[in-house]
Amino acid sequence: MTKEAPDEFSRWTKEKWGSSQLPMGGTVPYHTAYAYKTGDWSAFKAIIDKEKCISCMNCYYYCPDSAIIMDDNLKAECDMAFCKGCGICSKHCPADAIEMRRVTR
Amino acid sequence: MSGVRQVVGMTGDEAVAHAVKLVNPDVVAAYPITPQTIIVERYSDFVNNGEVDTSFISVESEHSAMSACVGASLTGARVFTATASAGLALMYEILYVASGMRCPIVLAVANRAFSAPINIHGECTDQLVCRDASWVSLFGESAQEAYDETILSFKIAEHPDVMLPAMFGIEGFIVTHALERVETLSKQQVEDFIPASRIVRDRFCPDENKTFGSLVLQDYYMEIKRQQEEAMQNAFKVTKDAMQEFSELSGRKMEIIEKYQLEDADYAFVSYGATAGNAKAVVNRLRAKGEKVGALKIRLFRPFPSLDIFQALSGIKAATILDRSATFGSPGSIVQTDIASALYGKEDVPSLHGYINGLGGRVLTLPEIEEVYEMSKEYNNIGMTSTTDWVGYRK
Repeated sequence: MTKEAPDEFSRWTKEKWGSSQLPMGGTVPYHTAYAYKTGDWSAFKAIIDKEKCISCMNCYYYCPDSAIIMDDNLKAECDMAFCKGCGICSKHCPADAIEMRRVTR
Repeated sequence: MSGVRQVVGMTGDEAVAHAVKLVNPDVVAAYPITPQTIIVERYSDFVNNGEVDTSFISVESEHSAMSACVGASLTGARVFTATASAGLALMYEILYVASGMRCPIVLAVANRAFSAPINIHGECTDQLVCRDASWVSLFGESAQEAYDETILSFKIAEHPDVMLPAMFGIEGFIVTHALERVETLSKQQVEDFIPASRIVRDRFCPDENKTFGSLVLQDYYMEIKRQQEEAMQNAFKVTKDAMQEFSELSGRKMEIIEKYQLEDADYAFVSYGATAGNAKAVVNRLRAKGEKVGALKIRLFRPFPSLDIFQALSGIKAATILDRSATFGSPGSIVQTDIASALYGKEDVPSLHGYINGLGGRVLTLPEIEEVYEMSKEYNNIGMTSTTDWVGYRK
């Protein structure tokens, strides 16, 4: 899905490149958003009970970060690397299968 | 036929639509608003008739129009849109996104007064207040200039040293709806001037791993913004060169500032857009009375041609700045403050007299402009170096 950033990319950040060296307009030419694990600051996480899941896929479509994935049996799973704990999936789940649990650090 | 000059009667809006037709952009996303509507109305005819290859996106607002333009432009498409007044205000947020992400979008603005009170007529405030959005900004005086600047804007915006969006303005109704003589170019001439094949930088493409519009905080934001300033400085020379090339192509002289009878002048009018035509007419009337007066028309507003304006006004005693835009509590009219900054601390420069006039399509007649000229002379005689007045309204 994503390729490794070349050495040059780590040089930008290590050497703190300036305006004449950085790519135009803040573009990062090595990654898509898939490479940015943005779920690490959430206060809540969606914990899905697969036994209760009725495969309606409401959570899949409502998740603003596409953090819900459907497994081989069409049961919802949450990708914690992207879940920001907004709770929309839990609110919309008709089977009450998603519990929002506070993250303890 | 290629190379044969045709003369057609067109309104300002139609002139823009016909010029865009020759450019044949990949995407046009626009929302109707008076007095711009005719531009996209005519253009959607061209799309529907199969005369162009453009994807026309009907959107639900100007905010969406500019957003669609940004998305399309990031894929490497050539993009055009048009708006006015409240529409431009609604686009304002995305104007910064377009320039920040370096999308060479071209935007036609049918300059119109802001609400409230609601008014649909000509006034340039809408475009002038976008001066800090990092867009190249041009003004046109006539349907002909609207036609020319449409084509020119693509050339400037897409230049690899610039890669910034460009907007050009024509005043609502005064230019957009007035039928005028327009000399057209051939499709071949436009294709040679702005070739379809061009350098496209990093573009949004499903097969490539790239991030656009990523979060950039304290440690890199200023560097990215500085790139825009350098691009804007480059736009200055690029615009000059492009205008030179366009002049040779069209046989019509095109310059970032137009000087009219300024060589031996003691006094000068400074204006932009449609007002410049009236200023030149008043110069003719005053010259007939023996007054040594000339006129300066600003076509390029951003990047601001400070040095050119200084050189043009050097040796002039007093400059009358006719500004069809509103600003409140400012040290001067919008264009006046820019000119004052450009001239500050320099020797042999005129006193500057700004006149806020023509708001909401109000006409400042030629005799009224003559009166304003006399006012400027009087201010200058009593040693006032900078004044700003509202003129042409009932007290």
